[in-house]
Amino acid sequence: MPSTGTKRAQRNHTRKPKFQADLAPIEDRIVRSLKEELQVSSNSDFMSDAVALFQWAVGERKRGHKIFSESTTGEREVLVLPRLERVAPGALLPYVNVAWNEKELESLIDSTRAEPARPTEALVRLMRG
Amino acid sequence: MGLITRRLQEDDVVENFDCKDDPLNNYLKKHAWTNQQKILVGVTYVAVGESAPTMVLGYFTLATSAVPRDSFPKKHVRGLPAYDLPLILLARLAVDYRFGGKGFGPQLLREAFRISIAVSEQVGCRCIITDAYRDKMSWYAKYGFLPLEGGAENQPTQRMFLDIRTLKATLKN
Repeated sequence: MPSTGTKRAQRNHTRKPKFQADLAPIEDRIVRSLKEELQVSSNSDFMSDAVALFQWAVGERKRGHKIFSESTTGEREVLVLPRLERVAPGALLPYVNVAWNEKELESLIDSTRAEPARPTEALVRLMRG
Repeated sequence: MGLITRRLQEDDVVENFDCKDDPLNNYLKKHAWTNQQKILVGVTYVAVGESAPTMVLGYFTLATSAVPRDSFPKKHVRGLPAYDLPLILLARLAVDYRFGGKGFGPQLLREAFRISIAVSEQVGCRCIITDAYRDKMSWYAKYGFLPLEGGAENQPTQRMFLDIRTLKATLKN
């Protein structure tokens, strides 16, 4: 018979992680409207479908595929979502030569050898904003 | 205004772009697309509004580069890894003056940083460098760029350096 500790560990193992989000009123209305249109009753099912769709989109962009909608008359509109663009192979950049003088090279190598500078407050706010 | 940042496309409207700097205006209008698509010397990312998704409001250009190990002064080479030093060049960053003061510059810079982090994780990169106009140095310094020594005072630009590790540190709690 498993001990109480083992039972607790098993319970913890099977417990599903909770997801909580703060939605603006407009986003809340959109979610409710989408759930109604898609005939999805629970937030869990809605989330599960949204994650599956996002996962598919990320996979497509990672392979370099474009995602677009096509109208009945054949007009296409390409989906551009900044976050998706970050996973696209197109994010790789071309190579260029940069001219350096000796003093700049010394300064560069000193900078790269030094401990990295602490991020400035503005940089932290920028990246986390 | 919701801002979208993405790679420059051929049908983007760039003719009216004006950041009050002729070289930066001309680059976007005359060279950015060719450089990106044909001669592959830089990728330009543009900021567009959600309501006018082809009207360019701001842009930046990125490329990769490397400093060959044997180009460093000899006394500095000892102890260096036996590889060239890979880096990302933030070649240009500009916002149309009619949209100044709305925070588009920092938003473009953040996108450039995010792409740089992604690139550093895919192919390796040690730092970002930019040649900043001297009157813009304090703006870049605010976001962590440090001036490199050696630039001539009579040059309009100053080379600045940002360690990728500094950038990555902002993403840790």
